[in-house]
Amino acid sequence: MGHQDLGVELKRIFPPERVLTSELERRMYSYDSSFMARFHSFVPDAVVLPRSTQEVSALMKLASQRRIPVIPRGAGSGETCGCLAVRGGIVVDLSAWDAIEEVDVANMQVFARPGVVHYKLNEHLAGFGLFFPPDPGSTRMCTVGGMVANNSSGLRAVKYGTTEQYVLGLEVVLPDGQVIQTGGSNNCRALKNVSGLNLTKLFVGSEGVLGIITRIRLRVWPRPKARGMAMAVFSELEQAPAAVLDVYQSGILPSGIEILDTSAIQAINMYKPEINLPSAEAILIFEVDGNPAGVAWEGQQIAEIVGRRAVSVEWATDPARMADLWRGRSVVAVAAARLRPDGSRIFAGEDISVPLSRVTEALRRIKELSRKHDVAVVNYGHIGDGNIHTAPVINLDSSAEVQRANALVDDIHRLAIAMGGSTTGEHGVGAVRNQYTMDEHGEAALVMKQLKETLDPLNIMNPGKLLPPEGGKDRA
Amino acid sequence: MPEDLEGLKEQYLRCVRCGQCRSVCPVFEVVKNETATPRGKVFLAHLLATGEIEANSQVQAQLSRCLLCRSCSKECPSAIPVHQIVTAARAELAVKVPSPVKRLVFRKIWTRPRRLALAAGVTRNIQALGLDKLGLYLRLLPPGFALPGRLPRRPAHTIIPAITPATGETRLRVGYFLGCSTNFLFPAAAASTVAVLSSLGCEVVIPPELKCCGLPQLASGEAAAASALASANSEVFRRLNVQAVVSDCASCTATLKESPEFDGLKVTELSELLLELIQKYSPGLKQIQKPVTYHDPCHLAKAQGITAAPRELLRLTCMDFREMDGAADCCGSGGAFALYHYRTSMSILNKKIANIKKSGAEIVATSCPTCIMQLRHGLAAHGCKTDVVHTVELLGKTLGRET
Ligand SMILES: Cc1cc2nc3c(=O)[nH]c(=O)nc-3n(C[C@H](O)[C@H](O)[C@H](O)COP(=O)(O)OP(=O)(O)OC[C@H]3O[C@@H](n4cnc5c(N)ncnc54)[C@H](O)[C@@H]3O)c2cc1C
Ligand code: SF4
Ligand code: SF4
Repeated sequence: MGHQDLGVELKRIFPPERVLTSELERRMYSYDSSFMARFHSFVPDAVVLPRSTQEVSALMKLASQRRIPVIPRGAGSGETCGCLAVRGGIVVDLSAWDAIEEVDVANMQVFARPGVVHYKLNEHLAGFGLFFPPDPGSTRMCTVGGMVANNSSGLRAVKYGTTEQYVLGLEVVLPDGQVIQTGGSNNCRALKNVSGLNLTKLFVGSEGVLGIITRIRLRVWPRPKARGMAMAVFSELEQAPAAVLDVYQSGILPSGIEILDTSAIQAINMYKPEINLPSAEAILIFEVDGNPAGVAWEGQQIAEIVGRRAVSVEWATDPARMADLWRGRSVVAVAAARLRPDGSRIFAGEDISVPLSRVTEALRRIKELSRKHDVAVVNYGHIGDGNIHTAPVINLDSSAEVQRANALVDDIHRLAIAMGGSTTGEHGVGAVRNQYTMDEHGEAALVMKQLKETLDPLNIMNPGKLLPPEGGKDRA
Repeated sequence: MPEDLEGLKEQYLRCVRCGQCRSVCPVFEVVKNETATPRGKVFLAHLLATGEIEANSQVQAQLSRCLLCRSCSKECPSAIPVHQIVTAARAELAVKVPSPVKRLVFRKIWTRPRRLALAAGVTRNIQALGLDKLGLYLRLLPPGFALPGRLPRRPAHTIIPAITPATGETRLRVGYFLGCSTNFLFPAAAASTVAVLSSLGCEVVIPPELKCCGLPQLASGEAAAASALASANSEVFRRLNVQAVVSDCASCTATLKESPEFDGLKVTELSELLLELIQKYSPGLKQIQKPVTYHDPCHLAKAQGITAAPRELLRLTCMDFREMDGAADCCGSGGAFALYHYRTSMSILNKKIANIKKSGAEIVATSCPTCIMQLRHGLAAHGCKTDVVHTVELLGKTLGRET
């Protein structure tokens, strides 16, 4: 079916201004923030922008009839080609369907449509003294639908965990157009519910391969009243993870613990010399939150405990000073690119997760790999839960460098699996890591496939993602 | 000359397509799909530069959906100058897909003060005969034509002398860049600027041979024409030997500051200069009683990073200065943007108007003529009596010089 014919059919379901079929418009849905998308042109056959569950359901029925792939998309901030039409088809841009339908304060939950942006949800909840704790670095753009689909988390996952802990129920449109409610029927507002198989958990992190999430019931928490931050500088990398363990063993659970290694410190100092971080093998930034008295006490404890291993520790609760301490961490993702004038930081092999006990080893091994492939890598990340962001920096114009980067990334992924970790701690699999699904999950990956086939026998729901590809390698 | 697309290659290559710029783009907020995002515009410019897409009117239409408000450039963690990339892409498109009408307007008329004055005169006559209303009513004219409102009978340059001496001791000799919008639409603001500067000890020179600052040309892709204007204007000021160049138009000031042709000339932003002079010489100030709020023009807050000085001035002169929500949000004008994309522009504006109403202010002060025009249009459309004035006009009143 040509684009025009498809457009005509889609316009029977959607008003014309919410169906995009021109070449130019479709091309603008060919990217997310992944490295892979820079070298492939995954142009969809059409884009639609739904505003109701009925529309999505009608769309899935049409797609089933016509056997056309359907690809859900939030803000397209993902790093994995997850929202791209790697096998053609219809992209469903849910980001404009962004109503926060109800904040049920008495029941500590919120009902929202998938397109609501993370920070906007939290801005709204702040008015009720509440918050939705997972906090991805992409808070300014990513949608809550995307977060549920990717089971996202962020800096404060150490204490607050990942999105899945907050999803109470979902409305999902299945590949055949059927609409279901998980976590209890429509009027369920229970916070605890163990009846039945947990379908909610099945859909959280399913990356759009099982259905389209159209409504989300989230548990929310009281907003903490105070925050404090400590920055510790280490002359030996080994001391940093050890200090983290010391803090845990003292019975303190910080809300976030971030690491910057030499490469990251160097990049930050090159990018913004005025931040002027001390040169060191590692810097740790601890954040604690809660009530003011607790924060003050925990801060002092951390400063004392970490001080035994660190060269220096600074504790701050003054917002301006905290912002200063935080500046280093917040610019690192960008600063990475400044390691060289023609450099671009790429989002590939960027999200491995390793056992806490092996973080130092992982960082040292990544340095070796970086030397082996002659590709600069900047390391930082959520050391509190072993999730390391490795940022390769290359010249995108050089095909030799691109090739070396791809080889490096493959090595990094394999290293993570070999170390008893995972290729991805929070960004997801999509089309860039599905070749590792078998290695990571073994037989379980085949059960995933069976589940997928049961729910989506026609394989039209975001095909080419998450699941092990046919014949081992599948680049769409 | 501003940089062309080739020169900006390193910049657009560095865009990681993270999408953070989605959170601030006023056009995206209304259009609500990826095609209107800053990221999408950088992507198109990239494809255009590499020849992966052909320069045509569709690409032009997509790239016209930008106010050049710079919200994205400021938000971008990688500091990608999105507005420069859009401007450069427009320049490339203007060469490859020329539009005779735009060329006529931006190259032939807007670059020559006499022709522009003539065009303004013709417009005024059309308005006097009510033909504009008829045209709008019959939909022969796009709705954006109602924006400027009724043009004043006499443009500023016909009222204000070429040299105004300082009141009392001369502390500074400034060249006043009288921009096209202030000149033709808001002569009263121009008069206030001159009066206030003079009363604070400035000798004010308005060179009659000045031309447009070049922003309308830049924004519509006529980079060479813009560059020629900047050269001509900078020569005028160099000959005059002024100590500072000022303008009451935030857009003109930003454009002059950024024109390489102005290197070596001191372009000072008006509110910063006024604040400095007031703090130094503490003249007596009367107080405005009515509640006043302030709208940040994008070309002041985002292009020049100036937000404190105008507020400081207003706090000094107003009993009841209040911040409104979203003071730095774009009003949706964007020069010709409001003409081409009237409905989008009005949707952006509506949010602003709601915030103005919520503030309870009776006067909105701002420092860009196009913002004044846009805000007045929106307030009138909402049947709101709130007045919109240039900050310098309030100052004119409080310095005891009614203008
Ligand atoms: C600078 C930057 C920082 C980031 N930081 C973090 C971080 O700290 N933690 C983290 O976890 N991630 C992070 N990410 C990754 C990304 O932002 C998250 O995965 C985010 O949740 C994706 O949301 P999105 O709305 O952009 O989804 P998209 O990228 O549009 O889609 C992501 C996936 O979800 C699917 N999907 C989206 N909406 C739906 C729906 N309604 N129903 C079914 N499937 C759907 C898509 O098909 C796709 O597979 C970061 C990204 C960037 C660019
Ligand atoms: S312009 Fe900046 S904010 Fe926008 S996508 Fe590119 S890098 Fe991200
Ligand atoms: S300059 Fe303003 S209107 Fe243009 S893309 Fe950036 S934010 Fe949007």
